[in-house]
Amino acid sequence: MANADSADVIVVGTGVIGCLVAEQMLDAGLSVLMLEAGPRVDRWRIVENYRNLPPSLRLSFDAPYPPKPWAPHMESYSDAAAAEYLQLEGPNARAYRQGYVRYAGGATWHWAGICWRLTPDDMRLKSLYGVGRDWDFGYDTLEPYYTRAEYAMGVCGPSDSALQWPPIRSKPYPMGPLPFGPGEQRFTDAAARIGLKNLPSAQARNSGIAYDGRPPCCGNNNCIPVCPIAAKYDAAAALPKIEAKGGRILVNAVVYRVETGQKNAIAAVHYFDPDKLTHRVTGKIFVLACNGIETPKILLLSKDERNPNGLANSSDQVGRNMMDQPKLVAELTLAEPMWTGVGPVQGSSIMQTSQGEFRSRHGGALFRFNNMARSRVGAIAAVRKGLVGKALDTEIRRLSACTAEIAIEHELLPDPNNRLTLSDKKDWLGINKPNIHYDVGDYVRRCASEYSVPIAKSLAAELGATDVQVSTEFTNSDHIMGGMIMGADSTRSVVDLDCRAHDHSNLFLPGGGAMTSSGCGNSTLTMAALALKAADAVMDQVKHS
Amino acid sequence: MPKFDRLACCLILALIGETRGALAQTIDRTAGSEMIARGAYLAKAADCGACHTVQGGQPFAGGLAIGSPVGTIYSTNITPSVAYGIGGYSEQQFARALRRGIRADGANLYPAMPYTSYAIFTDSDVQALYSYFKLGVAAVDRPGPHTNLPFPMNIRASMMGWNFLFLNDKPLQTNPRQSESWNRGRYLVQGAAHCSVCHTPRGFLMQEDGGKGLAGAQVGPWYAPNITSDVASGIGSWSHEELVLFLRTGDARGKAQAAGSMGEAVEHSFQYLSDADLDAMATYVMTVAPIHDPADRTSRFAFGKASSDLGLLRGTNGVRSDDGAPTGAELFQANCASCHAAFAQGSKDGYYPSLFSNSALGSNNPNNLIATILNGVDRTTAKGQAYMPGFAGGPTGLAALTDQDIVLLSNYLLDRYGRPGITVTAEQVAEVRRGGPSSSLLIILARAGIAASTVALILIVTVVVVRTRRRREPPAYAAST
Repeated sequence: MANADSADVIVVGTGVIGCLVAEQMLDAGLSVLMLEAGPRVDRWRIVENYRNLPPSLRLSFDAPYPPKPWAPHMESYSDAAAAEYLQLEGPNARAYRQGYVRYAGGATWHWAGICWRLTPDDMRLKSLYGVGRDWDFGYDTLEPYYTRAEYAMGVCGPSDSALQWPPIRSKPYPMGPLPFGPGEQRFTDAAARIGLKNLPSAQARNSGIAYDGRPPCCGNNNCIPVCPIAAKYDAAAALPKIEAKGGRILVNAVVYRVETGQKNAIAAVHYFDPDKLTHRVTGKIFVLACNGIETPKILLLSKDERNPNGLANSSDQVGRNMMDQPKLVAELTLAEPMWTGVGPVQGSSIMQTSQGEFRSRHGGALFRFNNMARSRVGAIAAVRKGLVGKALDTEIRRLSACTAEIAIEHELLPDPNNRLTLSDKKDWLGINKPNIHYDVGDYVRRCASEYSVPIAKSLAAELGATDVQVSTEFTNSDHIMGGMIMGADSTRSVVDLDCRAHDHSNLFLPGGGAMTSSGCGNSTLTMAALALKAADAVMDQVKHS
Repeated sequence: MPKFDRLACCLILALIGETRGALAQTIDRTAGSEMIARGAYLAKAADCGACHTVQGGQPFAGGLAIGSPVGTIYSTNITPSVAYGIGGYSEQQFARALRRGIRADGANLYPAMPYTSYAIFTDSDVQALYSYFKLGVAAVDRPGPHTNLPFPMNIRASMMGWNFLFLNDKPLQTNPRQSESWNRGRYLVQGAAHCSVCHTPRGFLMQEDGGKGLAGAQVGPWYAPNITSDVASGIGSWSHEELVLFLRTGDARGKAQAAGSMGEAVEHSFQYLSDADLDAMATYVMTVAPIHDPADRTSRFAFGKASSDLGLLRGTNGVRSDDGAPTGAELFQANCASCHAAFAQGSKDGYYPSLFSNSALGSNNPNNLIATILNGVDRTTAKGQAYMPGFAGGPTGLAALTDQDIVLLSNYLLDRYGRPGITVTAEQVAEVRRGGPSSSLLIILARAGIAASTVALILIVTVVVVRTRRRREPPAYAAST
């Protein structure tokens, strides 16, 4: 039985990865204790926080989640605030300003819910194109886990294989696709005219039915930063189920050290409570699922005599190969209303542009018509023009209707110099802040100059844009990958093919950090599939021990 | 005296039971698919599956735990299994169980099985139902759990006295002054659809109060409202079409939505009835004698209007990370308005109903407002799934609102969008959350009632026996002065 000090399985982190693993463990009859650095907050309070934000803060998706002093996360409301926690350097420091919240439920509170799979080619970059790394298993191995993850979270998508990405599936989506809003439909038609297919997103969002007891999407368009009705899957909705199954969740418990014991297996984890008192927790199996920045940070912090370079780090790859999808944005002004905002915020994407022979020379990209309601953007811009009264009203409407945004997300190669280390700066608890050096690399820059930006401009032209402004500085997509890279070869990877640390037989590190290639699509479904694969391995290991 | 003799005969007859008409002793295996189909339809109309099918279980295999104020009653296996179901029942035995509440082995059923309503099924309909259950349902060879009610209800024979007092098993006589549709409607409403089982209040022995037909009653956590033709207290303000549509879909726009047991009745029973039968039921129901509650001056469907307190909240509250007590306005905007809209007007197509012009908030009994917030709505018809999550917490609860949160929210909603003067207390919320009024008083009353009627029965029988003996003995002495 789990008590406050021990359990069969200790899961650090209550995000989607931790919750998927925890539920699998409980279903298998193991006891589970979950440790969460931050607080547990009711959904309705976060919704009210969001709706009480002034317009200037509406685009700061972390703003409804004020961090606790003991569990800081990046706050994006100003450059100065953003520089407080994540210490970023390098030519593309700005592009690693990763947004996640340290709250029970983790980053799926504010994710868009998009669930793209990798393609078989995405997993074989080295063999096919001579760049990056191959995954040491193929799509066929991952496919059943993709399916399980889709059913666990409740993912909706098309049954027409011509609209699926990729159209290699063993089971249909649990629910049918959500319809396009008017803006998305216009974008789809425009894209088709230049030979591009805008596909309905696979999304973890209830479509038409109450899947898993959560209501179907009713089009609040609030997805980022929070779904008011839990139609979008977030791990916060999994927490009561975990407790009902006997799982124990300790919040405001900041793990700062993992302790090794006999044979370099993990003996315990240590955490601080908000009074800065330390506690020790023991178990048989340890799962660190704190996200792709926090987990490598803890591994490095935990260095000891046997592991002078940090835990799980005999390969020297912990914290290296940090990946994301660097983003550029095309802002469009249109003569006619486009009307975003009907339905969820990211209902579709053009995916075919992520694949091709060009990948030996530059990366692929996806294009996404951003379906977020433009009223936030329009309000800020109109107010800044100094307008008042009816003129203000009219301008807000015009900007809301007649502007649009196309996001371009680029695939990026693992580079050992894109690296997380421990900064000398320390947080409120005296724990080193993460320092990340980031350079998107020529593979991405060539894609932008030769391929993705020209395509974005063609799309804008086809939409009849009267003005297009494409950003020149890459920004973050919040898909943190690579810092605990997976592989069969323990000299150049941190975890094995079940996300088990090569160096520690009872330590599992599932999540984005284990991903071997980034792909162009949002990473969460792949992370979730890896979590379920790791869970199977844990159960196997416990059964045979 | 003759009165006692007659009483004795009635008692004896009640104990033995009577047959009605000539029912078959064994199943007619040549019963055509038409009769089986008719039986299947009647089983839908009577919603046998509501109790005899566990969700996710095999049809009619029983095992559903039915909470009653006197304890848990488990439904039985009524598949044609010989060992565990009704496979060994003759049509006569089936009819006795259905209409008189007596099992094949002679033991009494509890009136959780609404045999008091099914008592009016015609022989022809009984035959069709019998054919369906014997030939149209797959046998499931598994017994259900045993029902154990507290003393004296665990003595099934105690039901004999109750049946004697309250079971009216006379068949319906056609009312020639009413249309065929009205008569058909009355037959369905009083029989198969057994509306009075929920909607008619009960006396202290839990019998339906005949003088208050369909005037409203508590059923677990939900209140089955007054559906008499009274304009203020009942559904006299409804049109015929509205009632038919409500039965078919569970939704009367701008008036009421079916949830709890009524939602289930719509989903599993009424949506499958023919247009003619729904028409007939509506025709009859709209003529049920009006029963007026003096507390009602206007109907529960027309209270409240659109309004919003957003102006008080936005631009003032800011971002909070504390656990401070919320206001009703905050709870409404944060938990309800994302679906029911900021002014509580619902959605244009009515999928999300308005909170004003809504019986849950307009009733003089706020029970269903509380029950809806706690339990939500889940009702699937051909129109789709009508779904509202519950806010009681639990594994799939959208939010875990405390009793105090729900008091704040309910009183806010009642004040802004509902009936003036109606308020909710924490005790009420706690009781609905527990599943409805508790039973201890009822058990005491029921025991007292059964004890009293048993004593009365013993007295009557004793007097009858003594007087009978006295009449047989010649007088020993003549009275002398």
